[in-house]
Amino acid sequence: MAQASTALSVRSASLRYGTFQALSEISFEASQGQLVTLLGPSGCGKTTLLKAIAGFIPLDGGTVEIKGQDMQDVPPEKRDTAMCFQSYALFPHLTVADNIGFGLRQRRLGAQDIATRVAAVAEQVGLSSQLGKLPGQLSGGQQQRVALARAMAVRPGVMLFDEPLSNLDAKLRDHVRMEIRALQREHGFTAVYVTHDQAEALAMSDLVIVMRAGVIEQMGRPEDIYRFPANRFVADFIGTANIMPLRILDVDRTRGEYKVSSPLGEAVVRSDTPPVSDHIYACWRPEDAQITKPTADAQNRFEVRVTTRTFLGSQCDFSVHPLGDATNRYRIQTHGFAPVSEGETIGVVIAPDAIRFLAEAVR
Amino acid sequence: MKRQRLTPYLLLLPGLFPIVAFMSLVVGMAVSQSIGYFNFAGDDRFSLEFWEGMLSQNQFWRVFWYSARIAILSSLISVMLAYPVALWLRRPFPGSDLISAMIKAPLLVHGLVAAFLFVNFISFQGFLNVALVKLGLIDRPIRMQNDSYAIGVVILQVWKNMPLAFLVITGSVRAIGDDILDAARDLGAGSLARLRRVILPLTLRALQAALILIFIGAAGDWSFQVVAGPTNIQSMAQFMHRVQSDNAAHGWNEAAVVAVMLMALSLFGSLTLAGLMQLIVRRMGR
Repeated sequence: MAQASTALSVRSASLRYGTFQALSEISFEASQGQLVTLLGPSGCGKTTLLKAIAGFIPLDGGTVEIKGQDMQDVPPEKRDTAMCFQSYALFPHLTVADNIGFGLRQRRLGAQDIATRVAAVAEQVGLSSQLGKLPGQLSGGQQQRVALARAMAVRPGVMLFDEPLSNLDAKLRDHVRMEIRALQREHGFTAVYVTHDQAEALAMSDLVIVMRAGVIEQMGRPEDIYRFPANRFVADFIGTANIMPLRILDVDRTRGEYKVSSPLGEAVVRSDTPPVSDHIYACWRPEDAQITKPTADAQNRFEVRVTTRTFLGSQCDFSVHPLGDATNRYRIQTHGFAPVSEGETIGVVIAPDAIRFLAEAVR
Repeated sequence: MKRQRLTPYLLLLPGLFPIVAFMSLVVGMAVSQSIGYFNFAGDDRFSLEFWEGMLSQNQFWRVFWYSARIAILSSLISVMLAYPVALWLRRPFPGSDLISAMIKAPLLVHGLVAAFLFVNFISFQGFLNVALVKLGLIDRPIRMQNDSYAIGVVILQVWKNMPLAFLVITGSVRAIGDDILDAARDLGAGSLARLRRVILPLTLRALQAALILIFIGAAGDWSFQVVAGPTNIQSMAQFMHRVQSDNAAHGWNEAAVVAVMLMALSLFGSLTLAGLMQLIVRRMGR
């Protein structure tokens, strides 16, 4: 039985289409007022999981509980959920007001109550002046707001978002993303948010669930997922990561330091978590490397050659490789302008605790 | 600038002109003849005598309302049968293509051929009577051919027009995205509420189009009526032909009155039916 504050609980959810395992033993919980993001590439099962929570797709195994109630035999129309669809799925024959009030009419609220609540929700999402229009007369951003308002109007126990921003342009996406998060915090509704955009997931979520091929690869707070990715897939999928194989040469257990050999040279890794093998993968983020003078002396200082340099305004992006080894390429980012040219040899320092062991042995 | 605005309309002319010209020609000719012009047996002069004569005949009104009844029944039954089938076949399943093809098969059979086959099937010594007798359900054959209630004509009209309704409605039903129906369901709409508040309103135009097409075709029917219709009453088309051939002097003028009334029945009857459908669907959606 889930705890009282648990709004949504998914346990061992499994689903198979023929030989294709769409979902495999998925388990997680969302507390009341939490925004949980299902993040992963196309085909990883995140939308399938969302539709299973909504009740559109029956699970082969496992349970979905909403506020402690098992949803096994509860049809979608009886579940305390409301979904914002990727396509918005607005009713084209109904006005904005009727779209927003659709769920309220199904719940048999009085005409006056419906009008009051529709007006209130429309006000919150900035659609008060559009209530008489048909969806086809609205812009993409406005349609997205109608979809959001329609779902919010029924005050569901769990709000489900299926990539709601994917049809918006970049600028509008940022704006609506902040609006959704603000509304979610203001009203304290529990939400499950599906996206393949890691920036969106990191910016909005209380809890991020990274999925691949129907399984959860890692689950945690956005900063933990970014700083301590569990494996190469998560490290690579969340932000930009430099992944390299390491061989453990020596261990100083009192200080939690590991002497390792890497393609960059010998290095020291400081980690609270011991490596799962003597020969494993590790990662570091491009912004973890600091460019130093060639003569500087520091721990974990490596000499690399710059192959490309891209000036991005607020930062510079470099592709580098170890001296004498052009096959291993790494990315480095610096804040602001860095007076380094392509072909130049530079020194980079990576702090021992910036290199993180991944729970994945090199085979 | 002015020329640019005119160009699209000029481009439409080659297609629009023959349609408008031929329609105007036919309608104009019929209306003109009904009021005394293009008179083959007398002076060309304006006269309402053919209208007065025809509209005062009880037989004409019997024929008029008979054709209206056949058209209303045929279009309503065809659409009512086609609609649930189109909904059922909305999402493909093994065998759905075959079922869909079989439903559309009558479109490939000419109505006259179908009428003769039907008459053979229900005739006094036809397959149906023989089968019923052999099964012991009846002692001797029943007379079903050319029944006075025109049930045979309605059956033929539905057989022929149901695939047309199915074709028109299927496109519209399939155009409703799964997300739209899922959204309605997610917001608490059960099967009936989804049908009333989402599916019917979104397919209203197709329903109306199917009703109009079938109504017009059935109102002007000649072949089903001649082969399988009742012998005690005629359809508008049949009556028009008889009026023209029986009356040598003013046959064309009187037939033109019937023709204009047939066109009026087609126009107003189908529009009324479509309007009623809209009212019903809107009321159901509330």
